Amino acid sequence: MALYYARYLGGCAALALAAILTASPAHAQDAAALNAEAAQNDWSTHHGTYKSYHYSGLEQINAGNVKNLEVAWMHFPERATRGLQSTPLAMDGVLYYSGSYSRVYALDGATGKTIWTYAPELDEELVAKQTHSPYNRGIALGQGNLYVGTVDGRLIALNLKTGKPVFDLKLLDSKKVTVGFTGAPLVVKDMVIIGAQGGEWPGRGPIFGVDAKTGQKKWQFDTVAGTEEAMATWGNDSWRTGGGGGWMPGAYDPETNAVWWGTANPAPLYDWSGPDWKKSGARPGDNLYTTSVIALDPDTGKLKFYHQELPHDAWDFDSAVGEFVMINRGDKKLVVHANKSGFVFVYDRSNAKVENVWPLVKNINFVKGIDPKTGELIGRRDLVAGKAETPLCPAIAGGISWNSGAYSPKTGLYYKIGQEWCMELTVLKTTPILEPMAQLNIGADFKLVAPPDGAARGHLDARDPVTGALKWEVNYKEPPLASVLATAGNLVFVPDAEGVVHAYSADSGKELWSHNNGMGHNAGIISYMAGGKQYIAVPAGWGSLVADEFVALYGEPFKSMAKNTGALVVFALK
Amino acid sequence: MRILFVIVACMAIIWPWLPTTAAADQSTSAGSANPPAQPEASSSDIDGEQMFATTCGFCHQDGGRAAGRGPKLSKSERSDEFIIERIKNGKMGAMPAFGSVFSDGQIIAILAYIRGLDD
Repeated sequence: MALYYARYLGGCAALALAAILTASPAHAQDAAALNAEAAQNDWSTHHGTYKSYHYSGLEQINAGNVKNLEVAWMHFPERATRGLQSTPLAMDGVLYYSGSYSRVYALDGATGKTIWTYAPELDEELVAKQTHSPYNRGIALGQGNLYVGTVDGRLIALNLKTGKPVFDLKLLDSKKVTVGFTGAPLVVKDMVIIGAQGGEWPGRGPIFGVDAKTGQKKWQFDTVAGTEEAMATWGNDSWRTGGGGGWMPGAYDPETNAVWWGTANPAPLYDWSGPDWKKSGARPGDNLYTTSVIALDPDTGKLKFYHQELPHDAWDFDSAVGEFVMINRGDKKLVVHANKSGFVFVYDRSNAKVENVWPLVKNINFVKGIDPKTGELIGRRDLVAGKAETPLCPAIAGGISWNSGAYSPKTGLYYKIGQEWCMELTVLKTTPILEPMAQLNIGADFKLVAPPDGAARGHLDARDPVTGALKWEVNYKEPPLASVLATAGNLVFVPDAEGVVHAYSADSGKELWSHNNGMGHNAGIISYMAGGKQYIAVPAGWGSLVADEFVALYGEPFKSMAKNTGALVVFALK
Repeated sequence: MRILFVIVACMAIIWPWLPTTAAADQSTSAGSANPPAQPEASSSDIDGEQMFATTCGFCHQDGGRAAGRGPKLSKSERSDEFIIERIKNGKMGAMPAFGSVFSDGQIIAILAYIRGLDD
């Protein structure tokens, strides 16, 4: 018997070793690429790599030859309602991207030839009820699958080679909460993680962990009152409809096995409590874990640590925007995260302790400041019912929007779009919404206006990510609403609101190339290699909720700009 | 059209005291927190204003007085029928459909609020 077990165990060990030897090279290579500073031939996750630099290590296209960049091919998606808002991915020479209604396209990265397409059947009645719909902001790759969320609350896995569904999992009762998924999922090890919309929609803003192979739901973390500690921070049972959510993908730190995710604002957006917000108003208390950065164990969904960037956010400045830039400075391991309020937070990566806070934008008056040592808000401006005496800055669209910045390890600079605008505001004491239902929960009337120091505008800043020291700045008449790309070719690409893609010197901000795509951008931009050639890919197509403000603010060309169309435009050297 | 407006405004004012619908529950709870509207109340004093700030003001700026994400609504030349239809069915890519969210009475209250707006 003992001999039998010895032989049996020996056989098992041999099989296990064989499995490791066959599986580990590919897996190890993937992990190394995902954990690298620079995306190389592939752009395999939303933020480029887990370090969230939005930085390509490719330098075939560089500051010396970018003037020869031209359109290589284009792709036109069907039903591009509200334009295109997604960040493409690329792997092994194939480009993948999603459009409105979660339609997915797999294209030959060198020629644009269609390999497969997938169009999920959605609950159109539910799609029509939603505010943040029907756009999709991205996909994820892993385990031989492509993952995409839907606005009717599903996570779909498609076979990467064929586009055929592997699983189609209903995660949210979207009929009840009127939210679904628009943000890209994040694959970590054998788990695919996706966050729901929330914010002004009454619900509890869950983030889910799903077995990437089987499609089995493994865990759920509610960003509204996800722990006993958090529930105590919502007075009058307001946690039942608290909003929250995590509508953009976070990042992963393998050293601490922590998934960093940003959470959205609480509902109603605007509270009439005034300075007595801990005890009165629509949602008395800190409202954990809204407007926070949270670190979750990807295997269990348990909260490891967190920092609430804006306790009792009363201004709709959620933390769901922003990449998690993981950098080392001296012996410190840091993560840099931008908040919609216009402040950038720098954290210790091991525990979310605040290391610094600096303002990216000039027009801020919702607080007098934020303590750079503790992160404590100084001089909060908590509103009461009635018209605010002076406009609130920044406006609801934020000093920073969801579009990602980029970090170049070559220059050591963080390239980030800032937005300068304010809004007139009248807070109303609204009827409490006690059950999740298909109704927004705003609590105010408002109107965007120019800030005190000039016109409503935007700017690209090149700054030290830790200190915020400014190296150079490019100003725009209107804030660019697309993500930024930095490359090892000493370039920074900015797709702007009017439809022009700009390439700047990463060192100086000098414009080196531009191309007019003919319609505004509110999507991501990436670089990848196919057939030994470097490409730059950017979806064009206008129409996000922030973009919709531009007609009233700026008139043309936005008044005449088509909103329900789009194109993926891919550039290469002549 | 003006006659219709007067009718809908009157209906909106009395709606919170009609107990037969789920929508009335919400209006009544609002009513219990605030003094009942008086017969001489103008259309801007009724629940439509509160409902507008809860949901519609996200896109129709300055309480509907200015264009923003959505169009300016005050002094709109659109007919009552058009506005009611738009609130119920929305416009894909621009405005959600609220037909299954708001009762007819609530939609009338919102319409009455819009019609009562000054620039």
